[in-house]
Amino acid sequence: MIHQGERGTAVPESTVLPAGSGRLGSWVLLAYRLPREPSNPRVAVWRKLERLGVARLGDGLVTLPHDARTREQLDWLAEEILAAGGVATVWLATPGSAAQERATAAAMRAARAAEYQAVTEQARDAAAASAAERMRALRRLRGELRRIARRDFFPPAEREAARAAVDALAADAAAAGEPAVIKEGP
Amino acid sequence: MRWATRAGVHIDRAGCAWLLHRFIDPAASFVFVEDPGEVPADATAFDMRGVELGHHGGDCSFETILRRYQLEDPVLWKLAELVHEADLDDERFDAPEARGLDVVLRGLSMILEDARVLEVSGPLFDGLYEYYRRGLLLGREPA
Repeated sequence: MIHQGERGTAVPESTVLPAGSGRLGSWVLLAYRLPREPSNPRVAVWRKLERLGVARLGDGLVTLPHDARTREQLDWLAEEILAAGGVATVWLATPGSAAQERATAAAMRAARAAEYQAVTEQARDAAAASAAERMRALRRLRGELRRIARRDFFPPAEREAARAAVDALAADAAAAGEPAVIKEGP
Repeated sequence: MRWATRAGVHIDRAGCAWLLHRFIDPAASFVFVEDPGEVPADATAFDMRGVELGHHGGDCSFETILRRYQLEDPVLWKLAELVHEADLDDERFDAPEARGLDVVLRGLSMILEDARVLEVSGPLFDGLYEYYRRGLLLGREPA
């Protein structure tokens, strides 16, 4: 199924619909192959795919829910692979079944859940550290949350816990910065 | 001269159009296409797959145009860092402003036609240019 142009369609956001809507979403796929050597372009492409949060469907086949941004990101990555002497094609597709779409979304959700979980743990660990250390951790974890959010297409429950843990660290840091304010117990 | 790019312009294409118009071709006119095959024969394409003025070697199209036309103005290279981070978000540069710029352009592209996005974002880039020009002269953040 080929979609010409993503503007002016009824669903401008990600076109993957919620489960139970009875309709299948649109996905953008990148099929690619890179020479084994040199390994630098392989590593660079792998890192970019991780950063984009793709679902890996097989060797050299990855996918993202289709929107203007994901399409563009995979287009440029395809260009980069060609420039590195590889082969790459970009496709727009609909899953063959709702179950297949759910499984792909579930794999992506689980990958993000693990990332949010790591943020939650680091925020809790940092709570016991010195004020300066807490501040550094806060800055780093806020950045990390923002990066995860950009590739979070199917938000898992773990997202709220991670946000709450980082917010708690922020409240903590703010309280430490204002020694005049005495936190009262319940 | 006519210039062509993909429809649904965002930060890199808006930045490139401003750059082309202000520094390379004051008479520039722009056409927006859905597919590389639709680029008119008399137009030069930019920020599209498979064209010279696109992404190359980790550079966004704005950086590619600066190199291609040998524009060495340090203020433009500072703006290039913002456009690069807003477009690619790969942390090659430390440009915290990029996130805000990205959101502004995304919002504009939601409510305006492509030609209008270029009209509205022109003064935005003019202002950014002036801000970073003063910053470079002062050696610190301008007031």
